[in-house]
Amino acid sequence: MISVNNLTKVYKLTASKMKELRTTENTKIAVNKLSFEAKPGEIYGLLGPNGAGKTTTLRCIATILKPTEGSVRVNGFDTVKEGEKVRGSIAFLTNEIKLDAHFTTDYMFRFFGRIHGMTEEQIDKRRDELFTRFDIHSFAGKKIEELSTGMKQRAAIAVTLVHDPEVVIFDEPTSGLDILTARTVTDYLKELKEAGKTVVVSTHIMSEAEKLCDRIGIIINGKKVIEGTLADIYEQTHTDDLEDAFFELYKENGGDVK
Amino acid sequence: MKNLILVLKKELYRVFSDRKLIISLFIVPAILMFAIYSLIGTLAKSMNSDIESHTSKTYIVNATDMLEKVVKDSEFGKNADIKYLSDSEYASQKTDLEEQIRNGDADLIVVVQKDFDSVFSAYKGQGDAIPNINIVFNSTENYSQQAYSVFSNALNDYRTKLLGSRIGNLEQLTVFNQTETEIVKESKAGTQFIAMMLPYMIMIMLFSGAMSISVDAFAGEKERGTLASMLVSPIRRTDIAMGKVIALAIIAALSSIVYAVSMIISMSTMGGSMSGMSSGFGAVHFDIMQIVQLGLMLIVLDYFFVVVIAVLSSFAKDTKSASTFVTPAYMVVLVSALLTMFQSGAKNTLVKYAIPLYGNAIAIQDITTGDIQPVNFFVSLGVTVLVSAILTGVLAKIFDSDKLMFNA
Ligand SMILES: Nc1ncnc2c1ncn2[C@@H]1O[C@H](COP(=O)(O)OP(=O)(O)OP(=O)(O)O)[C@@H](O)[C@H]1O
Ligand SMILES: [Mg+2]
Repeated sequence: MISVNNLTKVYKLTASKMKELRTTENTKIAVNKLSFEAKPGEIYGLLGPNGAGKTTTLRCIATILKPTEGSVRVNGFDTVKEGEKVRGSIAFLTNEIKLDAHFTTDYMFRFFGRIHGMTEEQIDKRRDELFTRFDIHSFAGKKIEELSTGMKQRAAIAVTLVHDPEVVIFDEPTSGLDILTARTVTDYLKELKEAGKTVVVSTHIMSEAEKLCDRIGIIINGKKVIEGTLADIYEQTHTDDLEDAFFELYKENGGDVK
Repeated sequence: MKNLILVLKKELYRVFSDRKLIISLFIVPAILMFAIYSLIGTLAKSMNSDIESHTSKTYIVNATDMLEKVVKDSEFGKNADIKYLSDSEYASQKTDLEEQIRNGDADLIVVVQKDFDSVFSAYKGQGDAIPNINIVFNSTENYSQQAYSVFSNALNDYRTKLLGSRIGNLEQLTVFNQTETEIVKESKAGTQFIAMMLPYMIMIMLFSGAMSISVDAFAGEKERGTLASMLVSPIRRTDIAMGKVIALAIIAALSSIVYAVSMIISMSTMGGSMSGMSSGFGAVHFDIMQIVQLGLMLIVLDYFFVVVIAVLSSFAKDTKSASTFVTPAYMVVLVSALLTMFQSGAKNTLVKYAIPLYGNAIAIQDITTGDIQPVNFFVSLGVTVLVSAILTGVLAKIFDSDKLMFNA
């Protein structure tokens, strides 16, 4: 269970970042009064163009950024006041957070298993499940630096899921993966949902959102512009295609998106 | 606590499973130390023996019979190629000979006044002429310098002989006898040199050892996003901070032990060539108390250094800017350690021991000479522990700051 209430995140911009964003203001409102809820047994999708604020929102949920305003609760725990408890019950996958490439997948899996307070038997059992599911056994003993992008992503997914968490937050989980591996990942997310987990993913790929998510929130310039099931969105935008709906909404909310 | 140990083990494993790191941390320094000191030793030794075995090319002009005899029997005469010249011979070759001295082709010209003996015997009292011996040498040439000082001994003998012949009884000239009885505090003997050098060497070795691994372990991991993987797991920030710092402190300590051991071994194999240093080390005897004190101080200092570097590196965006933050800290350490070399004999006040770095340096110095007061020791140790604990807290706070960790 995730509830995001009136979340606002303002970044202070460094001189170089100001140049990069071609702005003269020294702050950037990345997320603007965003509220949504993701319930157990559903996959909630944050859909939005580049720079919309998806990653920022997910980072706030995962406790690594503190909201400028508003609050986020995960399984009833406040992300600021009870950060450790939140971290203990989530899996957070994003491409800026990496496993130390010097170690093997095996070592990292075991390390984080122990950090989550699991016994060796529990870790072994879980290792078998996940390494089989994501076809990791063949390279589990290799240093992560020697793996391909796809292997690295599979390793990272397995490691973040070691403790079988109630809440799973994946930032663009299929980026950089071939269709076979991407399918493995999305299938697994569906399984997690079936098992009653709360799943939140971000994506800018319409087809992925269409197939994977039970409910979708489209954000543009840090603001939620629409939310609901596919059917809800089609109805509200008078379209029958997510891409058309998106362009419709994008025009209405005219973004200066990078 | 359990998680702290997990982090600590992971950090240690990281270093010890990396062949390149092991080589650069432990093997290269040992080889380098040994090579440097062996080279210095061999050079110094061969230079000394070369100078001593060199046959001095010497010209003596107008030598008296007695001088010739004294020189022949002297230390100088044993290893010298001496040409005796008459006054006229010298006059004709003077410029050429002086040129030889200037070029280092000849080592010494001794010009005795022409009628030395008669002037000497004609002396009756104050105001009468005194004969002269002029020595021409080149102080920038080692051989010439050495020839000059050895020849001076021979001249002294000559002087004594002449005095004896004039007065008849040498004892009349002996105003007093001088004997020496040396009293030193036993633990201070031979430790003067090491007491001067030790704080400096320890602090530099510890800090540079800590620097080489800690900058990457904090700024590097932050830059690569691997530190974040720990930050999203349910480990307490202080456990991450302490686990990493302790692991790195262990590695830095091991690395500086390797340095120290290879340095001492190299120095003692140098033999007498740099007698000051090797005997300084050879003569050091630490008792149990001193070893315990030194050990405690080093452990605390080691942790302190790593946590300072960790804090500075965590403020930085990447390893490059981290280095620019850490370098000034290194300078401060260098200067604090250097200051101990200029200690006057005066006792230090308690306040000085409470200054981090400088206090540690003088405490190490005092421990080495066996002079440390318990209160000074504990003040220095306590302050360092306190500051380190505060810095560990600061480090944990930095880990908690999204501004510093995610540039947000
Ligand atoms: N550390 C930061 N400092 C300053 N501004 C930032 C920082 N991180 C992100 N931003 C800005 O905040 C806005 C939202 O960024 P965010 O990464 O959340 O977008 P996103 O929806 O995940 O985009 P993408 O699809 O490209 O991943 C962007 O304009 C971005 O430039
Ligand atoms: Mg993103």
